[in-house]
Amino acid sequence: MTAPLLKIEDLRTYFYSKSKQAFIRSVDGVSLEVGKGETLGIVGESGSGKSITAMSVMGLVSSGPGVITGKIGFKSETVQKNLLQDLEDYVTLTRTDGRIMAVQKDQDGWREVSERRMAKIRGKEISMIFQNPKQSMNPFETVGSQIAEAVRLHTDHKEEKAAKEKAIEWLDRVKIDSPRLRYDNYPYGLSGGMCQRAMIAMALSCEPQLLIADEPTTGLDATIQSKIADLLAELKSELGITTVLISHDISIISRLSDTVAVMYGGTVVETGPVKDILSRTAERKHPYTSALLTSIPSAENVKEKGHLQAIEGDVLDTINIPAGCRFYGRCSQVTDKVRERCEQQEPELREISSGHKARCWLYFD
Amino acid sequence: MAKTILEVQDLKKHFTHRKGLFSAVKAEQQSIPAVDGVSFYLKENETVGLVGESGCGKTTIGRTILRLEKPTSGKIIFDGKDITTLSTDELRGLRGKMQMIFQDLDAALNPKMRIREILTEAIEVHHRIAEGSTEKRIAELLEMVNLKKSKLSNFPHELSGGEKRRVGIARVLSVGAQFIVADEPTSALDVSIQAQVVNLLRDLQQQLKLSFLFISHDLRVVELMSHKVAVMYLGKVVEMGMAERIARAAHHPYTHILWSSLTEKQSKEVSRKAVSVQAGRWGVFDFERPVSGCRFAPRCPVYEARGRPEVCTDPANEPELREVGDGHRVACHFPL
Repeated sequence: MTAPLLKIEDLRTYFYSKSKQAFIRSVDGVSLEVGKGETLGIVGESGSGKSITAMSVMGLVSSGPGVITGKIGFKSETVQKNLLQDLEDYVTLTRTDGRIMAVQKDQDGWREVSERRMAKIRGKEISMIFQNPKQSMNPFETVGSQIAEAVRLHTDHKEEKAAKEKAIEWLDRVKIDSPRLRYDNYPYGLSGGMCQRAMIAMALSCEPQLLIADEPTTGLDATIQSKIADLLAELKSELGITTVLISHDISIISRLSDTVAVMYGGTVVETGPVKDILSRTAERKHPYTSALLTSIPSAENVKEKGHLQAIEGDVLDTINIPAGCRFYGRCSQVTDKVRERCEQQEPELREISSGHKARCWLYFD
Repeated sequence: MAKTILEVQDLKKHFTHRKGLFSAVKAEQQSIPAVDGVSFYLKENETVGLVGESGCGKTTIGRTILRLEKPTSGKIIFDGKDITTLSTDELRGLRGKMQMIFQDLDAALNPKMRIREILTEAIEVHHRIAEGSTEKRIAELLEMVNLKKSKLSNFPHELSGGEKRRVGIARVLSVGAQFIVADEPTSALDVSIQAQVVNLLRDLQQQLKLSFLFISHDLRVVELMSHKVAVMYLGKVVEMGMAERIARAAHHPYTHILWSSLTEKQSKEVSRKAVSVQAGRWGVFDFERPVSGCRFAPRCPVYEARGRPEVCTDPANEPELREVGDGHRVACHFPL
């Protein structure tokens, strides 16, 4: 593995629910890394904290308390730093039994430092494709001028004309037909798939080091989905850009990623190379991952019209996080030998084979 | 032989689209053929899956069959009775037999009613049952859909997506519906929950001998759920047949491409074919691109490969559904 471009350590992003008088622990100790030029896929069900992890990296979490602790190491040619450096000073955490029970955060102070730092990085070094392409574009401006604006802000093409040419070039690269005409289209004039292409063009136009794609294919039709996936794969091999790909669609992740992180209830429960984790035949994986894989209708499944293996119960409620393993209540692989530990103590993310880590008591002796 | 519960003949639903304030006066109405001549039938205890891209008219068919929309023309025969022109009052009696599971979970359940009230209302509107037995019926329903009793006093927003879906299903069952239009029942759910709902629907079908019109764009789920599948494109059914044959031995190029987009390891040839289809999103009706002849021709790889034969774009010669054996029907001039 090449040196990591992005290395997240023990990131925690909480929100406060006034009606429940409790923290929503959306991201609760996430550690991840992406090597330069690689693609990391993050999979997980809704509410598992995938998007919030991405937003935290971008410094876009605005409601309180938001990001409270952790390290986000980012090492490109020009920037080498922890994006959350010195920000700890603005937060005081009170822990009871090793769990954060109260947070005091100087929002304004944190904001100021973080914004000043992120303004130089966001868009230029790290850029993001958002979940809903239509909503993430300004409806009052043409698609082209929005891309040109990003180009002028972050690259050397400061002149309007040059920026426009650059924008058109990018529209062409993401395979939008007649880019010169489309440049003057407003977002509502584009279909969902085209809008997503335009978003990708905008994100890549400043040639960032890291691209975070948050559910880039969700909400599109099946044929368009596979087309967008093809485009991302092509751009990746062309530009060698490092990508964090977030999706709940396992087929997209397994097609595009080199490494995978499976998230459940705000933590990473398993991470490693794609072939170790997302292939059905691989043994030794986290019970959640194997349950997730079997709940997708497989080709054999469909042929025999067999019963799907559903995971019983519901997605973890990140307000009341249990003391033990987060997946304990839904896990079907608990044995008597580990039951007690599963119930009482949260397992760590530990290596179970080379490069493959899992958070499960079954694999520790 | 199971009896036919629903028969749809040449059903059309055109929406009018008005341009400008005085369009009605100036008679400048344009009509959008959301459903443009669809025929099929559904047997008892059978599931027909309806697939297609968004905007192709799947949901409109479902709504029109239940007479939530007024059909423009055609015939809907439910349980041996022509319901195409029944009045609202006459329909009310039938509502107990045919129901819809709506796509939007949050819009389908009244946010100001507790789950108990939602279910009670559905039961009491459609059936005169003895006081006190409503409670018993609710308990039965909860058991059927595998929902905890404690949820009865919750409001819809307090439930998770899977639970809301279960309430929706329980409500449909509460009136004793035999024919159910399930509009994207799994689309908003996570895979693990989706599997629960698919299993539940299939179990209920066996237990209660239900018939489903299963609308979804998730091809795997449709194939798994359905006995027969109809593939729609721009308001028309382009291919129809047994689920396995549609998935693996499709004759229409569109169907073929739809299913091949699923295969994780696409062959080079298939993905090359798929490119031309995916180039534009013409799955929705577009005034600027009036249909002439085969609707799929502009995106069709076969049309390209055969050197754009004239018959495909001949307005007088739109392909009709033709039998190709075993009840498998295809609307294409050059079936694969």
